[in-house]
Order: sequence, then structure tokens, then C-alpha cells
Amino acid sequence: MGPVYRLTLRQLAGRWRLSIMTVLAALPVIVAVVMLRSDTAPSVMQFEQSILSAMLAGSIAPLVVLAIAAAAFGNEVEDRTLANLTLTPISRWKIAVPKLLATITIAAPFIAVSAFFTSYVAFVGDIRATLAVTVSAIVGVVLYASAFVWLGLVSTQAIGVGLLYIVLWEGFFSGFVSGVRLLSIRHYAIGLMHGIDPRRFVDVPHLTLTPAIVMTVLVAGGVLLMSIRRLRRMDVP
Amino acid sequence: MTPLNEAVIRVDGVSRWYGNVVAVSEVTFDIMPGITGLLGPNGAGKTTLLRMMTGLAATSRGSVTVFGEPVRDNPSLYRRIGVMSEHETVYEFMNGRDFVRMMARLKGVSDLETAVDRAIALVDLADAQDRAMETYSRGMRQRMRLAATLVHDPEILILDEPLNGADPRQRVHFKRLLQQLASGGRTIVLSSHILEEVEQLADTVLLIVNGKLAAAGGFRAIRAALNKRPYHVRVLCDSPRRLAAAVLGLESVDAVHVDPDGALVVLSRNVLDLQIELPKLAQLSEIRLRRIEPLDDSLESVFGYLVEQ
Repeated sequence: MGPVYRLTLRQLAGRWRLSIMTVLAALPVIVAVVMLRSDTAPSVMQFEQSILSAMLAGSIAPLVVLAIAAAAFGNEVEDRTLANLTLTPISRWKIAVPKLLATITIAAPFIAVSAFFTSYVAFVGDIRATLAVTVSAIVGVVLYASAFVWLGLVSTQAIGVGLLYIVLWEGFFSGFVSGVRLLSIRHYAIGLMHGIDPRRFVDVPHLTLTPAIVMTVLVAGGVLLMSIRRLRRMDVP
Repeated sequence: MTPLNEAVIRVDGVSRWYGNVVAVSEVTFDIMPGITGLLGPNGAGKTTLLRMMTGLAATSRGSVTVFGEPVRDNPSLYRRIGVMSEHETVYEFMNGRDFVRMMARLKGVSDLETAVDRAIALVDLADAQDRAMETYSRGMRQRMRLAATLVHDPEILILDEPLNGADPRQRVHFKRLLQQLASGGRTIVLSSHILEEVEQLADTVLLIVNGKLAAAGGFRAIRAALNKRPYHVRVLCDSPRRLAAAVLGLESVDAVHVDPDGALVVLSRNVLDLQIELPKLAQLSEIRLRRIEPLDDSLESVFGYLVEQ
């Protein structure tokens, strides 16, 4: 798995991509600082809904992960270098898993740092709340990465389809239709956050911890299996 | 290595279609050790066929087996197969040696550095191995990709248009290398749309036209079939009508006519005979020949003729 992991890290760590991710990751921190310095500081519920849920878990994290994950396989399909990997005697899961791990390795630090500082500033150094936000953000990265790595394998328009998914599904439907929460990565992350620190996050309707954990495991594992299956069955360009 | 009389690759009733477009249709053949050339014009289906033979693409119908095992979704077979596609599938940010080393790791080569040294030496690129591949010429990339293909010392080599982008010196080196590898008992399949390229290298030729196997066998048999096909030959001389009357007496000439621009066009089914007799006739008739050129010597016309046969 090592060579595929290292190769993917080098492929994904492009300067422009890292620059965009840095800007995106800095946004929630900046907005949090501005909001808290204003005369009408938001309540915890408002802060959770607008910054943590809508902005960090529903927009910034998926966008950052999409920029990385869609390229993990997408670029190799496009420039036809994927055949270099599939024409070797390694099982398909040994290609899919390191690709996913490399995606998480690059995306997770940006989102984790962003989540940490955003919550640390907002909750004035409350370590438990900060950890709850950071851990749930990392879990969100893992889930989004699984989904978008698979998307890069099945669609040549992964970025476009991913953006539609982020805007329509995670941004719009999951915010208005309560049943959709069970099929929303953003709400799994928020559910975990509530579960880790229930005393801080109390007012907003959310998934409880158990379904959030179960769905996290099911989605991450299921999408990874779909990627492996796709790699085995696709015509490699 | 596989015994010389045993099929290494078996392609059995293979078809592949994309929607309504049939890329390969009902193709069956066996490939034995030695060099086999897959010949055909551009768009004939050679690459699709090679992709199915390597397991990169699925068949719509039929099967491909390598060493008796299905090649599709069978990664362990790639310990014994080396594949070089026609595309420049390199990582530009790597240097040549790193690329070959990474491919060796992926292929499970045990004595890594020795294998990398040997493969790079085989393609004669030791001097350039530490340069970034983005600085390589197309021919150098091809050679470094060949080194990566050879690094695990495969029993089968499948090469799609391997001489593309190579300069004449590299071509000579490449041909020698393939002959050397084949003499060691390996099975080499290479595709090309250039007749002469395959003629110089391959013991056996598979001729693919319009997705079908048009002819298979030794190159001499196919060449003989080609020599029997009707050729139009255009002759420029100082007295086309007198030469027309004279060449009509030749057994090898089926018809003649004189172009509006005064050139003589001869239709012949034995072009070798015509090549010998035409200058003699011109000399006897004291006619000065200025130019002789084949009118339909394109590969497409050659392949078209063989398909009709």
C-alpha cells in the first residue's frame, strides 16, 4: 500500500490546491472572530447552525475534501496513469484504501485546524466543546473523502456533481427536510458533536449519537466497498 | 518460460461493442511464445483488443485467458505480464529512476535496486535516469516506460504501438532488445499500423481490420497474399501510348489506360513481375521512363484487399 499512498500524496499536494484549501479553511475562523467581536454576538444555537453546521460541516469541509478527493482517482483516469496501478499484482483494495488515506491525510489537517480554532475562539477555550467540534469535523472529512473518492471513479464530472451534492443535498434538503438527516454526512458530524459534548450543544435538533455512529460506519465502509468494486469492474482507460 | 508449442494467450470468440458501435467482432486466436505483431490501420480495433488481452477492458462476449487463467480481475497474473500502453502514462514530477523503482515496488520485485539498474540499462537510459521525466523527449519516455514494463522480468510483454515517437537509432535499439527478449523464450505481442515495423520484428502476424481478424500467420504468407492483389501503377514516360501497347503483352498486366495528363496507368496482379519487365520493355522500345509510382499502396487499401479475400 505504501507506494500508492506516497504516489497519491505527491499527486494531490499541488500548490494551487493547497492554497485554495488554506483560504477556505481560514474562513470559519475569520467569520467566528468577526461575529464574536460584533455588538450582537450569536447564541450557541445560532453559532452552531450558521458556522459549525452550515459553514464548516456543510460547505467548507465538503468543498476542501472535494477538491482533493475527486482528483485522487479522477486525475489518474483523465491522464490514463491509473493503468500503471491496475496492471500490477496488487489487490484492488490496496489501491483504493491508500488513495482514500492519502486524501484524508491532506484534507483532515486543514479542516481539523479550522474546526479547532473556530470552536476555541467561539467557546472561549472550552476544551471539551473544542474537541467535540474538531473530532466531528475529522469524521466529516473521512466520510466526505470516501464519497468523493468514489465519485472520482464513477464520473468524469466529479467536481460538478460533487458541488451539486454539496449545495442541493447537504446545503438545502438536509436543512429543511428532517428525514434527510439520516442520509446527510453533515448531520452525522453534527450528531457526533452533540454526542461528545451534550452539555454545550443542547438546543438544535440533531441525530442522536447511536444512529450517527452507525450511519458513519455504514457510509464510510459502504462507499469504500463501492470504490473497490468499481475498480475491479471498470474499464481502465 | 512456456513451451514453444503451447498457447500463452488464448482469445476465444471475443467481441466488444460500445452502444451500437462494434469495436471488435468475434475474434479468435492463440498466441505462442515469440513475437506476434498485431497489425492494422488506425481505428481497426487493435488497442481495444490489446486492452481486453491485458484485462484493462472487459469483453462484451467471449473470453481471454493467459496461462489458462482469465485475465480480467486477476491481479496476480501481472507478476508474469508486462504491459506498455500507447499513452504516455508517466508521472512528470518523478525522475526516471524513481518511476521505474515505484513500478518495481508495485510489482513486488524483491531485489529492487538491482532490478531497476538492469531494466534501465536494457533501455540504455542510465545517463538520464536522475532527470525529471518532464524533461524527457517522447522517445525517452517510451524507453523509460519500457524499463518499468520490464523491471519484474515478465514472461509476456504486451506493447501497444511501442515505436511511436522513437527516432531511427532508438528504433534499431528497441528492435534488437525485443528480439533479444523473444530469443529468451518470452511471449511478445506488439501492435503497429506500420507494415514494415511488424515485418522486421514479428514471427507471426495478426491482421485486424474493422474489428475483425482479417488474416493470421507467418509474415511471408501474408506478404504473398499482398503481392497477388491488383495494383495500379502510374508510369510517366515520353511515349505513354507506345508503352501501353507494349505492356499489354505482359502476363502480369490486366489493363492499361492513359490519363488526361498523359500518364500511363497499369493495372497488374503481379507487381513483382511488372517491376522486372517494365524497364526491360521500355528499353527495348526505346522509351524513356521518368517516374513509376504505385497509386494504391496505402495500408488501408492493402488491408481492404485482404478483408475482401
